[in-house]
Amino acid sequence: MPKKILVIDDDPNIADYLTTIFENNGYEVCSANDVNTGYEVAKAEKPDLVTLDLEMPTEWGPRFYRKLSQDDELKNIPVIVISALSGNQYAIQKAAATITKPFDRDELMKIVKDVLME
Amino acid sequence: MFKDILFGTSASPAGDYAARVAFELAGRFDAHLRLVHVLGVPSRGFSYLAEDVRTGEQVVIDDDYKAWVEEEIKTYYAKQLEKCNDYSIHVCVGHPHREILREARNSNPDLIVLGGPTEENEGSAYKKIVAGSTIQLVSKSALCPVLLVSRPAASFWGGISSVVFGADFSKASDAAFKFAKKVAASIPGCELHIFHAMDIGPVHTGLSLSQEEIEDKIREARKKIRHKYVANLEGFEKYSMEVWEGLPYVEIVKFAREKQADLIVMAYSTKDVDAENARLGSNMEQVIMRSTCPVISVNRKMAKN
Repeated sequence: MPKKILVIDDDPNIADYLTTIFENNGYEVCSANDVNTGYEVAKAEKPDLVTLDLEMPTEWGPRFYRKLSQDDELKNIPVIVISALSGNQYAIQKAAATITKPFDRDELMKIVKDVLME
Repeated sequence: MFKDILFGTSASPAGDYAARVAFELAGRFDAHLRLVHVLGVPSRGFSYLAEDVRTGEQVVIDDDYKAWVEEEIKTYYAKQLEKCNDYSIHVCVGHPHREILREARNSNPDLIVLGGPTEENEGSAYKKIVAGSTIQLVSKSALCPVLLVSRPAASFWGGISSVVFGADFSKASDAAFKFAKKVAASIPGCELHIFHAMDIGPVHTGLSLSQEEIEDKIREARKKIRHKYVANLEGFEKYSMEVWEGLPYVEIVKFAREKQADLIVMAYSTKDVDAENARLGSNMEQVIMRSTCPVISVNRKMAKN
């Protein structure tokens, strides 16, 4: 059974690009364009990994992580931060990895496989 | 909650993280954002020559130069200003803390936002652990709360929904509590965590305490929190209270990280009465420099008000 990745990004181009890369690499993908929808999708889909943008309308990425980490069912899902903001590696202390946009797809897949321990 | 925010900026990378918070807060609270840039200190008294803080060059200060600097600021923050509906830019000359305080006296903002130190000794141990003089002096004398962002980690929260109030039971701390409560009460769903760190460092206690003594003191502090603060939380439900022992600034930073807090409110409680040479209390200073969220300083002048 393929592993499932939840992509949370308010930029549809980035979300589509990430979805395509992950699907081409054999993963099942679900996505959300804001924090609240992302949390609902995470509850419903129980993904194996979340990729998370930082700056989004209404709520920022760290708030999603706070909700996730306070939910007993979801708190152990690893999160990879994908953002263009400077200093992004400090945004979520317990994130599994941080990737700066624009990113290299091979580098991204290497990190994803590493986080998923494949 | 915030209708007028004064952002003291050097319009350089040192202020980028504070800018992120200032613009975000202004947008979220629909506030007027007042960008104040002090472009340099006159070489002497009323000299028309000053050293530009951004370029380091000696420049002739006149209206043309100020207009040029204002344009530079607009260019530097172009992306943020695109989304900012209500802002003004103020360029002035002088000592940064005096000019920021002067502008604050004139405009009476609800909040002053300042960034990390801008000293040239990038990467030095001094810069990593010591708050800059502007932070120190504005925090000491401002008549409104001062929000400080000294690390990139403190700039990613995008709003306020989990406030840690660092209690030290002083008069200024009472004012800080009132402010923290006001902030938490004004934001639907916001949590307020009342936290006291009991100092058990040998320097302060003079002798090592037994565990029983430590636990007695913790109980005492919890009782104080209940009487002094919780009793004043009429109807406010989303709160918690904790007392931890240790090195106060380390415990506050750890507690805020654990709670994934997006704001710390603390009292500026230095006993130094000389405004020009006053330093923040060492705990406040270290929390500012190490925290993973913005820190708001509330001083004794606010307690009097």
